[in-house]
Amino acid sequence: MYEIRFHGRGGQGGRMAAEAYALAAFLEGNYAVSFPFFGAERRGAPVRAFTRVDDKKIRIKTQVYQPDYVVVLDETLIETEDVLEGLKENGMVIINTAKKPEEVRLSKPVRCATVDATSIALEILGRPITNTAILGAIAKATGKVSIESIEKAIIEKFGARLGKEAGEKNAKAARVAYEQTLVGVAQGGKAFIPRKKWLPDVNEMPIGGAIGTMQTEAGLVGIGSFIENKTGDWRTFMPIIDKEKCIGCKLCWFYCPEGCISMQDGKADVNYDYCKGCGICANECPVKAIEMKREVRA
Amino acid sequence: MIQKLPAKKMVITGDYAAAYGALLCDVDVVAAYPITPQTLIVEEFSNFVNDGITDAEFIMVESEHSAMSACIAAQAAGARTYTATASQGLALMHEMLFIASALRLPIVMPVVNRTVAAPIGIWCEHNDSMPQRDTGWIQMSCEDNQEVLDMIIMAYKIGEHKDVLLPVMPCLDAFILSHTVEPVDAPSSDEVAEFIGKYKPHAVLDPDNPMAIGTFTPPEYIQELRYQTHVAMEKAKNVIKEVTKEFASKFGRDYHGLIEEYRCDDAEVVLITVGTVTGTAREVVDDLRQKGKKVGLIKLRFYRPFPAEEIRKIAENVDAIGVYDRAISYGSGGPLFIETRHALYGLDVPVLNFLAGLGGRDVVTGDVEKMYEILLKAKEKKPEKEIYWIGTRGVSI
Repeated sequence: MYEIRFHGRGGQGGRMAAEAYALAAFLEGNYAVSFPFFGAERRGAPVRAFTRVDDKKIRIKTQVYQPDYVVVLDETLIETEDVLEGLKENGMVIINTAKKPEEVRLSKPVRCATVDATSIALEILGRPITNTAILGAIAKATGKVSIESIEKAIIEKFGARLGKEAGEKNAKAARVAYEQTLVGVAQGGKAFIPRKKWLPDVNEMPIGGAIGTMQTEAGLVGIGSFIENKTGDWRTFMPIIDKEKCIGCKLCWFYCPEGCISMQDGKADVNYDYCKGCGICANECPVKAIEMKREVRA
Repeated sequence: MIQKLPAKKMVITGDYAAAYGALLCDVDVVAAYPITPQTLIVEEFSNFVNDGITDAEFIMVESEHSAMSACIAAQAAGARTYTATASQGLALMHEMLFIASALRLPIVMPVVNRTVAAPIGIWCEHNDSMPQRDTGWIQMSCEDNQEVLDMIIMAYKIGEHKDVLLPVMPCLDAFILSHTVEPVDAPSSDEVAEFIGKYKPHAVLDPDNPMAIGTFTPPEYIQELRYQTHVAMEKAKNVIKEVTKEFASKFGRDYHGLIEEYRCDDAEVVLITVGTVTGTAREVVDDLRQKGKKVGLIKLRFYRPFPAEEIRKIAENVDAIGVYDRAISYGSGGPLFIETRHALYGLDVPVLNFLAGLGGRDVVTGDVEKMYEILLKAKEKKPEKEIYWIGTRGVSI
């Protein structure tokens, strides 16, 4: 049996990728299971999905803690968390990035495959949805399933949802990614400060879960804790407002699900500490004054 | 706030006793939705409000689900709340019951035990309250109208205790108590106020001090909250014993905690009863004792928390135990029977189940005599079966 852990962001299709991979493995006569872990996520939140493949029925029902492969759909995730956590020795990480494997820095030097799935998706699908392109990269990097099975699985799974043409386009994205995937070794040495989590025991847990604002060793929790828990690093695309074009209609302010648009001197202004980059504002703007630009992080 | 009410003796229905008990406890908010045979409780309370005896907020809601929702919200805002229901109404409330207990809100709600349809019946059966077993409510049954009034008072004191903070459901049998008048001693409002004290909530919804309760909570936290509630229910056992003792010393009526033993001292066989059948069974025990039979009775007051230790202690010294149930868990047995056998695991004593009075059928002395007859036989010879449907046409016992 081998196990894969997918790291993505809510809305990027990590779950669909994990499921389509399971289907591809199944089409080759394997037994495969795939499942997401759902939290309170919304679009942009770090999320995980898992796939297990074996030649016999898989009975274990736990999440995957020691994966053979780690797949990262969103490059920004490798900056904020150690995606290698629990990765088996000789394991491999497959990352959506424009960098070469040797240019990627992680906590340890590990076998690494890279592909610029975002550019491939933008070019072929016209949208930065990378969950099909990345499947081609997995096929190339692992050699565990053929690209033909990946294509078949994508057409079956995505075609059923999005129509035949879209299914075939997505299969093409996987094929192009397959051809462009580079395999090498990533650099190690990147330090991560493990994020502390508030885990009170039964005596510390507020009765009935009733909670005001609490200062804990993991920082603020409860009411008002978002003063510390900024969500700007969830963003992969950032809204840029053209103040010249903005007519101050407030539609973006009205539709922003995070309430992070305010009006300054009659023009829309984004609070980038909290903006998750969902793009709803750009979609709603009647004068197209908001452009979603790919996030560039140091 | 309520007007000062003197201690007095009244001849009242069980429903009136339940309403008057809530009045004496100076409840702040009452949510009301009618259902036979509970309707009289909230109707009587509405009279108290109308007559200016209390300034409690009386909220008429559109369903029992809303009644419990209103109580939850008011209690979370720091109010002492009250509602009442029965049968289908309790079933409709089911999902809100979990919320009341998990948020640790000591709401008090009498349930007038009425059969749950189908077919439609208005008479006594315990198949409404017993399925609420796992909702985290303290659940107990009353034997007479005096106990109904006294139990409402004790319910607030038990539920609001800092070690407990759980809602309480005192149950009374439909019509047999709810619509039956009998003499009841009511204490004065001053005495009750002194006895139960002020409600001190563990958390209060207050716009000036924002607080979140019952919010989206991931798996990292819920298991600890479940454990807390379980521990609170366990701790309620001692609190119930203390409160009944304190009640006895203050008001002179002793309910003996979780169970009451009746003539169990040298008993060879013992019957566990619940609700009003207890009173009838006391008569039968006295009669059989006079005839030289060593029989005893356990009046089971609390179903949750379940008095496993107390029952086990008695069971260790008897030759057979019977459990009376007015509800059936299809495919298994009576709920109290299942619970009792679990409590007696490992003891070598026959445990038999007697089902009678379902759908409100009268349980007469002859029925109870039959139960003791079977138990006395079981003492001599291992019984062939465990579950006996007393007085069921076409079913042999």
